[in-house]
Amino acid sequence: MSEWQEKLDELNTKKERYRQMGGPERVARQHAMGKLTARERLDLLLDPGSFVEIGLLAHHQSQHPDLKDKFTPADGVITGYGTIDGRRVCVAAYDFTVLGGSMGEVGEGKVARLREMALRWGVPMIWLLDSAGARIQEFTGSQFAKAGDLFREQVIMSGVVPQVAALMGHCAAGTAYIPALADFVPMVKGRSSMALGGPHLVKAAVGEDVDVNELGGSKVHCEISGCADLEVEDDEACIRAIREFLSYLPSNNREQPPVIPCDDPPDRYIDDMTSVVPTNPRKVYDMRQVIRRIVDHGHFFEIKPRWARNIVVGFARLEGRPVGIVANQPLYLGGVLDVDAADKAARFIMLCDAFNVPLLFLQDIPGFLVGTKVERQGIIRHGAKMLYAVSEATVPKVTVIVRKAYGAGYFVMCGRGYEPDLLVAWPTAEISVMGPEGATNIIYRKEIAAAEDPDKVWAERTAEFRKLIDPYIAAGYGYIDDVIDPGDTRKVVIQGFRMAATKKVQRPWKKHGVMPV
Amino acid sequence: MIEVKAMMVGVVIRVDAGPGTEVAEDQPIVTLESMKMELPVPAPRPGRVREIRVQVGDVVQEGDVVALLEDEAG
Repeated sequence: MSEWQEKLDELNTKKERYRQMGGPERVARQHAMGKLTARERLDLLLDPGSFVEIGLLAHHQSQHPDLKDKFTPADGVITGYGTIDGRRVCVAAYDFTVLGGSMGEVGEGKVARLREMALRWGVPMIWLLDSAGARIQEFTGSQFAKAGDLFREQVIMSGVVPQVAALMGHCAAGTAYIPALADFVPMVKGRSSMALGGPHLVKAAVGEDVDVNELGGSKVHCEISGCADLEVEDDEACIRAIREFLSYLPSNNREQPPVIPCDDPPDRYIDDMTSVVPTNPRKVYDMRQVIRRIVDHGHFFEIKPRWARNIVVGFARLEGRPVGIVANQPLYLGGVLDVDAADKAARFIMLCDAFNVPLLFLQDIPGFLVGTKVERQGIIRHGAKMLYAVSEATVPKVTVIVRKAYGAGYFVMCGRGYEPDLLVAWPTAEISVMGPEGATNIIYRKEIAAAEDPDKVWAERTAEFRKLIDPYIAAGYGYIDDVIDPGDTRKVVIQGFRMAATKKVQRPWKKHGVMPV
Repeated sequence: MIEVKAMMVGVVIRVDAGPGTEVAEDQPIVTLESMKMELPVPAPRPGRVREIRVQVGDVVQEGDVVALLEDEAG
């Protein structure tokens, strides 16, 4: 055998050994937990044959007695780049079969290199997280002083390239802040979690006995905390969600979102739109039915569907072009805005604006929630986040007033003062600082109190005020651009976005604003 | 078992899905009147209504359990 052959055999044997991950037994255990391995996940995520691995031959260098004799192929995190629908991405897939996917010094060095490449090349960064967190033996004691740079780097990447952090296992501490700074966070139902401190730490620190799912499972973060974006059934659904999310965004903030061919006619009249939305303002409906009728082929990719359900946000396409939709949801709380709904919308608006995705606002907003509870939660500063985000957004903006457009709710949903490129109303629109009942109580308080028959006067004044709430009054002043047939909504918003496609907005120089948080 | 809770204070004006009814996610279980609107209390997930805890005319507070729902997990 030639010396060359020996060298090649050694190379191939070595690589094959590293590709075995934690070995057959641990791989079987991973499967028994209903999870795919990190390599199987990458096979599903990336276009076939496109993966270029970086650092396969890496392994830990620790002299710690617990680790010295342990083999950590790829050091527990598979890193590299490849393509999704032909577009490049960088990926780090934590390998739970190698020391629980723990973050070691060598592995983190690999991920750091990959983050740097994602930023340098202007391509999305994806983390598939299935990791116990920091490998404690490698960060013993005050060696910790050097750690933490990954989060700073993520912040620098924010708004430059899309970041996706998928939770595909139980993650704690370090691996919980990665999603916090990412743009899209899907969680596999029942098999993933994130928490700043895992159950053992919680027990030691605050004495609470809690199970990992109860502490930070997919239900907690997708329905209660709002820290995650989408609960998905299994690993396959998680990968599909990542691929779809990225299909709406450009590879970086200097590019436009990808356009796909579309055979749904742009001027399609929506015959049954009026059957979805009741004219009676007391009756509610599901706003998603309106959205599906407007967008291409009725396909809507909703973000955070089970958290702050009183507002609906997500991506769709109009004549093949991605659009971000922000819509009030009368089905929940009548569509009123509370602290969580304002946070959800503000963040989504910032995401779309950062990556050049136009915004469609659908208004049916009775206003912001009032009362002691929400004031104590800081509804003022939360509502201000939405004011801030919608004002800062310089992407094309189109607003449709479906029914209610009351008070500051009308502002934050991109009313006239917020530079919509097109602002239209359905004939059912009610635009006003407040509803007739509230207005009557304030304006005619003294007159009503002094009246012989207060109820009668109240009813009369309310009816008079109601007459002032009419979209034709706003249209008469030229404050709204048109009152439209609901069936024409798709056609009209597409025309609006076409006109605004070349939009350029110059703002005064600043380092950055001071956003309410 | 999922506790279906009222999202805000209101008066129960209708029971839309009585015990035993299979409901889809977002399908109204009971309807409240609040904020001058008829506000459904929708099923947070698909399931079967096990029990309705309120009657028409009851005033419910935010967070009150109005119904119990059996989800796929039982």
